[in-house]
Amino acid sequence: MLSDLTYRLRALFRHQRMEDELQEELQDHLEREADKYRKAGASPEEAKRRARVAIGGLEQVRQHCRETRGTRLLEDFIQDLRYAARSLSRSPSFTVVAVLTLALGIGACTAIFSIVNAVLLRSLPYRDANRLVYLFTPNRNFKLPVETFNPSNADFFDLARLSHSFSSMTLFQQRTYSFASQDAAVRVGAAQVDGNFFSTLEAQPEIGRGIDSEDAQPGQENVLVLNHALWQSMFGGSPDILRKSLLLDGRSYRVVGVMPPEFGFPDIDPGYRNGAVHTTQVWVPLALSLRQRADRDDGDGFALARLKPGVPIAEAQAEMTVIMARLDLLHNPAMRGFAAFVKPFRDRAVGPVRPLMWLLLGAVSFVLLIACGNAANLLLARAASRTHELSVRASLGAGRSRITRQMLAESLLLGLSGGLVGIAFAYVFLHGLLRLNPGNIPRLNEAAVDTRVLLFTVALALLTSLLFGILPAQAVSRVNLVEFIKSGGNRVSVGTRNHLGSGLIVTEVALVVVLLAGAGLLLRSYVKLESVNPGFSQSTVSMNIQLEDNSRPPEQGRAFFLNLLDKVSAIPGVKAVGAVDDLPLSNSENLTEFWVDGYANQKGQLVEMRNVTPGYFAAMSTPLFAGRVFTENDMSGGPSVAIVNQTFAKNYLSGRNPIGQRLRARQPDASWKIVVGVVGDMRNLSLEEAAAPQVFEPFWQTDSAYIAARSSLPANELATTVRSTLRMIDPNLAIAEIHTMGDRAYQANAQRRFQTTLLTAFAIMATLLGMVGIYGLLAYSVKRRTSEIGVRIALGASRRNVLSMVLWQGLKLSFLGLLIGLLGALALTRVLTSWLYGVSALDPLTFAAVFALLLFVTVTACLVPARRAASVDPMRCLRYE
Amino acid sequence: MTNKRLELPQGTLDLLIARAVALEPLHGWAISEPLQQISGDAVHVKQGSLYPALHRLERHGWLKAKWAISENNRRAKYYELTGQSRKQLEAETVAW
Repeated sequence: MLSDLTYRLRALFRHQRMEDELQEELQDHLEREADKYRKAGASPEEAKRRARVAIGGLEQVRQHCRETRGTRLLEDFIQDLRYAARSLSRSPSFTVVAVLTLALGIGACTAIFSIVNAVLLRSLPYRDANRLVYLFTPNRNFKLPVETFNPSNADFFDLARLSHSFSSMTLFQQRTYSFASQDAAVRVGAAQVDGNFFSTLEAQPEIGRGIDSEDAQPGQENVLVLNHALWQSMFGGSPDILRKSLLLDGRSYRVVGVMPPEFGFPDIDPGYRNGAVHTTQVWVPLALSLRQRADRDDGDGFALARLKPGVPIAEAQAEMTVIMARLDLLHNPAMRGFAAFVKPFRDRAVGPVRPLMWLLLGAVSFVLLIACGNAANLLLARAASRTHELSVRASLGAGRSRITRQMLAESLLLGLSGGLVGIAFAYVFLHGLLRLNPGNIPRLNEAAVDTRVLLFTVALALLTSLLFGILPAQAVSRVNLVEFIKSGGNRVSVGTRNHLGSGLIVTEVALVVVLLAGAGLLLRSYVKLESVNPGFSQSTVSMNIQLEDNSRPPEQGRAFFLNLLDKVSAIPGVKAVGAVDDLPLSNSENLTEFWVDGYANQKGQLVEMRNVTPGYFAAMSTPLFAGRVFTENDMSGGPSVAIVNQTFAKNYLSGRNPIGQRLRARQPDASWKIVVGVVGDMRNLSLEEAAAPQVFEPFWQTDSAYIAARSSLPANELATTVRSTLRMIDPNLAIAEIHTMGDRAYQANAQRRFQTTLLTAFAIMATLLGMVGIYGLLAYSVKRRTSEIGVRIALGASRRNVLSMVLWQGLKLSFLGLLIGLLGALALTRVLTSWLYGVSALDPLTFAAVFALLLFVTVTACLVPARRAASVDPMRCLRYE
Repeated sequence: MTNKRLELPQGTLDLLIARAVALEPLHGWAISEPLQQISGDAVHVKQGSLYPALHRLERHGWLKAKWAISENNRRAKYYELTGQSRKQLEAETVAW
């Protein structure tokens, strides 16, 4: 085996040397043979002749010897490639157009694949991430997404004690801290983690150690682990950091370790309430007291577990279900109904964006197919003009398979060049894509052209070459020799090839139509969404302030915020200012069980509950529809009052005057609150979801709140002023998330903008490629039929006739493609339904627009060849004939 | 050269070559000469078909080849059995 391989390699790379040796060996043989005859008395001439006869055809022997080297196919192939390169370089314009077309398709595919690679394929930076699972305890009494139910602390520790499916379990929470750096306080994203966090993820610190069980004891928790970026930016990556202590929320924490750059878990906020945390910059211990550990109602912590080797997820799910059935009985009877849900880590991390990734790959592959169609058409047109050459080669004995291989070598060369240029395009596309990064697609920013992406591109280029090369190669190799010879070597019928070209155009148009319809629907959705009234003013500036994590009395927190608001409202230019605990579009939420007097209340009936100061609605420009807003009196312990939004009034207070109605929240025996006002709806979680029922109560206690201010000052100027105001009150506090509400709305639409932009870009590329395709086919067909057209004109056809004949030829194909494409779009746009907003997947306006656009594009593409045909000079044609 | 000749099955030619070079390394012409004798009048090994066979055997590792100076002071390519093929040959000769 080995000797065979080395022999073949030698034959390939030492080709000339082997030829020389063969020559020498055969020469030696001939001379010895001739010697033999000379010794027997023959003349030198005669001896040489007889030696050559004896060996039997020297050239044949050489050829046979070459064939035994086992490199014939490869050598033929190399020869084919050389020939292809020569022949392509002789028609540079064809080559450039074909390569660019393919590069566009391959480049777009490569760019999208590099995103898919980063988001879905590349392994997560945790060892054996496939064995990591999230644990949830959904309660059937509350109509909320399963993943909003984290286990309560007591349930978590009981699960850890009773289950056997997991080798390790960890509980962690997300929050933010004010971090006092040299000159100003900044806010850092943090995770409070128990002692098993790093071991469950099997993550090792870069220097120092992680957080262990001893740190997670109350009283021992003043240690922290830094992330790599913060260590680098704030401490210059110095190892001295391990001897330092840092102030978080005014408390001192000793640095015990630094995590490596690739570790940033928990990264993209997996749930409500911690809207401020996008990256985890520090990890601190989650030190729960015995009382907290035994709390069966409260649980802010995410539960992550590592499956034991060999334990399938279904088994863990079954075991957890059994355990939770027992634990459910320990819950407050009013709350019972808890079950278990085990969710693979990867599904939670990337599950929500998986469909989008497939959508993008699907759409971009359409673009590639269209590019292939164009390349195939170009090859066909070129082959037709080479019929003469190919026929000559066929008559000289080139076999059909040899000609096919020859043509494939050409398409392979084109495909690979397209791939090479495509990689350059991919870099450009990817650069643009990353600028569109909506920020909520995990690890999108890590997308890069890596080895896997390059391999993908090479495979794609090979596949593409075959795809666009095989049909033309087959069609061309079917040279009709009899026709060729009969025609005296002048013209050969190319009828079948034209059918193939038309078929390709119809297919391309159909693909273009599907893409246009998809992009059109997404664009319509985007426009609809842009015109949605979110219920608040775009120019309102919002910012988040979080008090230090000290157990200060609630009144003190309220007093702090009221004091700050007072000072901010005194800033010149500020028209209105207010505070709220959970701001719209801040990805924070507070759902509370409630009961309405005189309404058939359901079990587990939840409402979005908000704490607001009197000025909040004015600051947000949210209209008051009935009654009044809160007053100072309401704030300082007057009668219990509430304000509801329109949706609440419609759902729960319909048919009555909402003002004066009563409701209670949190506990079924809580005191009644009287509704004093109805305000306009505000969209909360996203702009796409209609507003949910909301209840507002006077701002009473909180350690974190958003300030909203409407002013005539520019946003950053206002922020600076508020910051200096805050520093005068408490220099340790940081302001975070300074955004206008318009910025938040823009950010909330980022993913929709991302997918809409991409799909629109694909549709535009596809349309242009399709246009080029139609143009190419018609231009070629007009050129081929020049003399026929000349004859028609000579026989009396008017220019108009000729013009409409060519136009009609293009339109016929376009109509057929349009028909097929519309049918395809009707079937395919259904998969878009979940991406659409306010339009149906069968939106007639979109489909009509696609129809009109395609018609326009076709006519434009046909016009140049049609006019060229109409301007054919019959005299010149006939003379040429 | 006669027109009436029997094409040797490939295996037979290989075996004839192997037996020729079993005793000492030989160059192509020296292998072809005794082949004519061994096969006598019954079969005729066309000299031209010897070289493809030699090269094939070399490629598959049954023969190894080296260039050496021959008795008449010229460079010639000598073929000899490899250890592996020597064992094989002994086994097959016994089987005959």
